[in-house]
Amino acid sequence: MTRINLNVNGQAVSHEVENRTLLIELLREGLGLTGSHVGCDSSQCGCCTVLVDDQTVKACTMLAVQADGSKVSTIESMGTPGNLHPIQQAFVECHGLQCGYCTPGMIMSTAALLAEHPNPTDAQIEHALEGNLCRCTGYVNIVASVRQAAAEINKTR
Amino acid sequence: MNAETNYGRFGSGHSVQRIEDPTLVTGKGVFVDDVSVPGQLYLCFLRSPYPHARIVSIDTSAAMAMPGVVSVVTGAELTAAGVKPFPNAAGFKRPGGEPHASPPRLCLAEGTARFVGEAVAAIVAKSRDEAYAARDAVMVDYEELPMVVATDAAIEPGAALVWPQATGNVCNEALYGDVAACDAAFAAAAHVVTLDLVNQRLVANPMEPRAVLAVPDAQTGRLTMRMSTQMPSGARASLCAVLPDIAPEKVRVVVGDVGGGFGMKTGLYPEDAVVAWCALKLGQPVKWTADRSDEFLATTHGRDLLSKASLALDAQGKVLGFRVSSHANVGAYATPTGVAIQLLIGPWVTTSIYDIPVIDFRLRAVLTNTAPTGAYRGAGRPEAIYIIERLMDAAARQLGIDQADLRRRNMIRPDQMPFKNLMGQTYDTGAFEKMTTQAVELADWSGFDARLAESKARGKLRGRGIASFLEWTSGNAFEERVTVKVAGDGYIEIFTSTQAMGQGIATCYAQLAVDTFGVSIDKVRIIQGDTDRGVGFGSAGSRSLFTAGSAVEVASKKTVDLATQLAGDALEVAPSDIEYREGSFNIVGTDRSIGLFELAARQPAHHVFVDSTTKVDGPSWPNGCHICEVEVDPETGEVEVSAYASVNDVGRVVNPMIVIGQLDGGAIQGIGQALCEEVVYDRDSGQLITGSLSDYALPRVDMVRSFKTRLDQSVPCKTNPLGVKGVGELGTIGATPAVVNAVVDAVWRHGSPEAALAMQMPLTAEKVWQALVAKR
Repeated sequence: MTRINLNVNGQAVSHEVENRTLLIELLREGLGLTGSHVGCDSSQCGCCTVLVDDQTVKACTMLAVQADGSKVSTIESMGTPGNLHPIQQAFVECHGLQCGYCTPGMIMSTAALLAEHPNPTDAQIEHALEGNLCRCTGYVNIVASVRQAAAEINKTR
Repeated sequence: MNAETNYGRFGSGHSVQRIEDPTLVTGKGVFVDDVSVPGQLYLCFLRSPYPHARIVSIDTSAAMAMPGVVSVVTGAELTAAGVKPFPNAAGFKRPGGEPHASPPRLCLAEGTARFVGEAVAAIVAKSRDEAYAARDAVMVDYEELPMVVATDAAIEPGAALVWPQATGNVCNEALYGDVAACDAAFAAAAHVVTLDLVNQRLVANPMEPRAVLAVPDAQTGRLTMRMSTQMPSGARASLCAVLPDIAPEKVRVVVGDVGGGFGMKTGLYPEDAVVAWCALKLGQPVKWTADRSDEFLATTHGRDLLSKASLALDAQGKVLGFRVSSHANVGAYATPTGVAIQLLIGPWVTTSIYDIPVIDFRLRAVLTNTAPTGAYRGAGRPEAIYIIERLMDAAARQLGIDQADLRRRNMIRPDQMPFKNLMGQTYDTGAFEKMTTQAVELADWSGFDARLAESKARGKLRGRGIASFLEWTSGNAFEERVTVKVAGDGYIEIFTSTQAMGQGIATCYAQLAVDTFGVSIDKVRIIQGDTDRGVGFGSAGSRSLFTAGSAVEVASKKTVDLATQLAGDALEVAPSDIEYREGSFNIVGTDRSIGLFELAARQPAHHVFVDSTTKVDGPSWPNGCHICEVEVDPETGEVEVSAYASVNDVGRVVNPMIVIGQLDGGAIQGIGQALCEEVVYDRDSGQLITGSLSDYALPRVDMVRSFKTRLDQSVPCKTNPLGVKGVGELGTIGATPAVVNAVVDAVWRHGSPEAALAMQMPLTAEKVWQALVAKR
């Protein structure tokens, strides 16, 4: 077991983990942050996407010990049902989700994209989301959600 | 309903934001794996690495000695304990009238494993890692047996047999129509068009894998199964049929959020029963969460049909006869659903929206050493519609008639409704030509030549494809029970045993309740997924809105009627003097009134409660016309979907945003079948080649840039009081032939007509390129 110290959603966390423990296992089982989901076992689906030091990471692909000393942000950092983040609001308004299983990963990928490109082109949106699979929506509404989120966030900048 | 009122904006007909969404976008949804209980154990499955093998012995001793291991279970232990095989597809017949033949499906393979991935043992440990580690220590001695995975090989004389009683690997067959009359129609035809068509095997792949948390309660002797399922009641019934000595009242199935279903989560899986049995045996909670590889190996797969199909036409393009001979690969165990899809449901729509005078339909279900097939979005209808729409397209080319026009010449007219098709199915409504005419306009059909030239100027090949079609919906389960409780605390709670799985059905029910109660939507709570609250068929076959939605409306009206009686008592007037409006009962012509919730609070039980069962008169027949244009890169064969337009008759629409979301999301699954998805088993080894999302290509964000999707509400359904038609599968069914016809068109125009018609799905860049270089 190894003790790691990291910042998760603005909170200092100190946790004992096995060396083989994945970051997603630490988040979901160790810390009870079940908003990030597991949809595959080959780093393809992106349901577990979180931000590590502001970069998107598939949390099933990173060991918890690799996140030692890092700042980790999950969907739980974004907004609450009564006070949605503009990205979350845009997904609701544009019908950018159906079952909602991939959605937290989509939203975290969007957050990283908009931090880097406040006015993303459609090509940049597609590039940012190419590692996130959705089986329900057909993606068109997800791309529309990202566009709307960018516009909303830019209004308040 | 008055759209000016505050609640009216939340009633039916409006694109109301989904009540499901705030929890889902914040990660607060509750999927099965999100739930843990103290003391829960973890289960994983050891699966057969061979497509067909005798299980000589299983040695669990080393695994049992591993850290944290609590139990290692084999098929022999289950059989000894009285666990029964899954129900088979009894009632279907083999050629010559012999009974259906398929090996018994056991929860864990015993004696013989019949496909790669069949569960052979279950390992239960204190942690997931310990269960996985011990799995590697279970020693199974296998003796490989002859195997066959491909349909064409399985029906060859001398092929390895999956099950001895199923000679020729045929487990059952279906014959419809009139052979002699069809032969005569073909003999008299001016034109005959014949195609060999493959509906390849697919995996549904909802993003949430299956998961089960089984929690036994020693005090009550009950078992709570938290599952990701579309049919909680059916899962419970099957579980009690398989496990020994457990009555349905001892089992509660609870469903939280479901991360997509697409038909794949309709029945009980063997794994589910094993988890339940282990929890009961050990007296401790047991959780199993499938890996994606579990899902590829051992969920029921979809499609997998080889067909030879022909149309006979007269010189003007009127269809005279239709001949289809198919072999459906149903895997190693013919499941009742997998068989019904191919022998019943597909045939019901085989003649689609066309007035075809005679058919000769033959289908044989074939056993192979592959995963069993079952429901996947469309379930039989995509196969059938693909066949007739490919034939219509080929016929139009052969006769030199416009693709849309040839279809129009054969469509059933509105004045023929109700129309009984050759399979005995009755369409209540349908204005098929009207949908096609609108779709042709929406897609700017007549402007295609200019776009073709523009693509050509950029060095691209362009093609256009059309599909006009209908689908059967309902699962032939027409009855739904709904309970409505108006609570004195100020909310209306509605329970239905249909099941949300991401389709937004709770929002639609809430909108229907708003229509009747006239309260704001945040006062309405929709409860699903709990067999202790009620049982029913569940959600499958695009049935939920027109069956349970109708039941919600009827039950809501009954509740208002009952509450009006109670208001009469409370206000001491005759109920006939009371008018209900927007949450308030008013005495007509006075200012005296009582609020709905105040009235509920005054009741002895502190609520007004109605338990109501409603039956609709039959299935609904949604239909539409989908038109796709593609661009093909002649250097690489890559296909890009350039335009996609559709006009859809789904009857009355409760929430246009949700309906269009279903159509577009459905369409991309159909496009996935057309262009990229395919399950591949190696013919020589029987191994599953496409066992992960790295190998099986799901559509990604760049597949389609836009959909032009229109809803025509002018043809309400006549079999239910709402006038709605099912919508869950329509997009999937139309998209596959529309896209394939477009790619065929592009390759045909390039000058490779034979190769264009010979291409089989998925139309990957390599296959299209091969067809392009076959240019004469």
